[in-house]
Amino acid sequence: MTIVAEQLRVPSDKVTAESHLLDDLNADSLDVVDLTIALEEEFSSAEQAIEISEEAAAEMRTVQDLITFLEEHGAA
Amino acid sequence: MITGIGPVTPIGIGVDAFWENLCAGRSGVRPITAFDASEMKVQIAADVPDFEPERFMDAKSARRMARFAQMAVAAAQLARADAGLDLATVDLERVASVVNTGGGGVTTIAEETRALARRGAGRVGALFVPMMAANMASCQVSMELGLQGPAITGTAACASSIYSFIEAKQIIQYGEADLAFVGGTESNISELGIAGLANMHALSRRNDDPEGASRPFDGERDGFVFGEGAIVCVVESLDAARARGARIYAEVLGGGRTADAHHLTAPRPDGSGAARALRGALHDGGLAPEDVDYICAHGTGTPLNDAAETRAIHAAFGAHAGRLAVSSTKSMTGHLMGSAGALSVAAAALAIHRGLVPPTINLQTPDPECDLDYVPNESRAMPVRAALVNGFGFGGQNGVVALGRVDS
Repeated sequence: MTIVAEQLRVPSDKVTAESHLLDDLNADSLDVVDLTIALEEEFSSAEQAIEISEEAAAEMRTVQDLITFLEEHGAA
Repeated sequence: MITGIGPVTPIGIGVDAFWENLCAGRSGVRPITAFDASEMKVQIAADVPDFEPERFMDAKSARRMARFAQMAVAAAQLARADAGLDLATVDLERVASVVNTGGGGVTTIAEETRALARRGAGRVGALFVPMMAANMASCQVSMELGLQGPAITGTAACASSIYSFIEAKQIIQYGEADLAFVGGTESNISELGIAGLANMHALSRRNDDPEGASRPFDGERDGFVFGEGAIVCVVESLDAARARGARIYAEVLGGGRTADAHHLTAPRPDGSGAARALRGALHDGGLAPEDVDYICAHGTGTPLNDAAETRAIHAAFGAHAGRLAVSSTKSMTGHLMGSAGALSVAAAALAIHRGLVPPTINLQTPDPECDLDYVPNESRAMPVRAALVNGFGFGGQNGVVALGRVDS
């Protein structure tokens, strides 16, 4: 949530799991791709690289979608 | 007509701070803090430490711009406010933005190249291209202010934002726009920028004396000091300015542009290419040499430039050269490269309007090759009927703008 708020320059109390990236947080497609790159950077470790493919990134609608993806792919 | 001035400079943000420090002879050269410069040959620069982009745009917009574009937007907003211009009252489709730059987003390219090398192609930011592209200098000004006439970013190295004013005058005369936001921006005080300029021996290495490092026309000069900042002016036709009762700082009378066709970085030693640009500006501006009281010099503080520029002024002005006041703002601000010309235009316009010419500081040791009146160390109260503003770039691009006083 902190990363989302930081990347999209929105107040952190505005970011909830239900927040829609485009409608609620005023992101555009460039912001979403940039956000996924920042999440890869944050959640990748020496043991495990997190890769959010372009196809997966295109499916992200809400903050929960990002969280679900990261959990399913073993990010801490 | 120049009716608004927006400076974001190493010696102040906004007209009042900029002009006060310029005429007081205060230096904006400091030890570099943007990165660890302790291993660099050059450890000083003229940065803008108090620049806060979010004073001029929302945080989201600021994040999507490189610093050179943020500074251009800030300068444009300052110019709009200084001109007393309410954009709601003008036809935005008739407003141009002409903001040139030397290096554009070189620093962004360096950062993203590092990400590419260290972490792979997948980690290159999605905003990389629209952040580093040089045209964002004018396009971000257009987007933030809603300007829908021509948006143009050209580049001519250190003459870039001399060319802006010539371009804008032509756009207005040609009828493409009634009003334009005109200037330049540069912000590349990075390891790459400093290393490149230092290794070509362009920069002063007077690391232990930052405020004395930029010494144009002085016998002990050893190179320029790299600076950052943006200067944007509001330029409009006389009719538009009069219609809204605007204060007019000065008129853009004309310009001259030539190329040396000589060398990568060195000017023609006899200054003949620059002299042709000076004569071109006089002719285009309808001026005789004797009509000019002040030249805001390119005056970088490199051994070659200052001697060649002096010869050029002698060649173009003959006997009148000795009666001109000639000063270099770079002695205080450092060399802002792509925005250096606009900074000099702003200084000359203020000199005309206020009857006060800024000094050349750090002028202590005479150089027989630099024998003009450089307004040494103290500003000078004097009427300025017309002024020329010089900008000469690597690659041999010469630009001169002629400004004239407008009596109300």
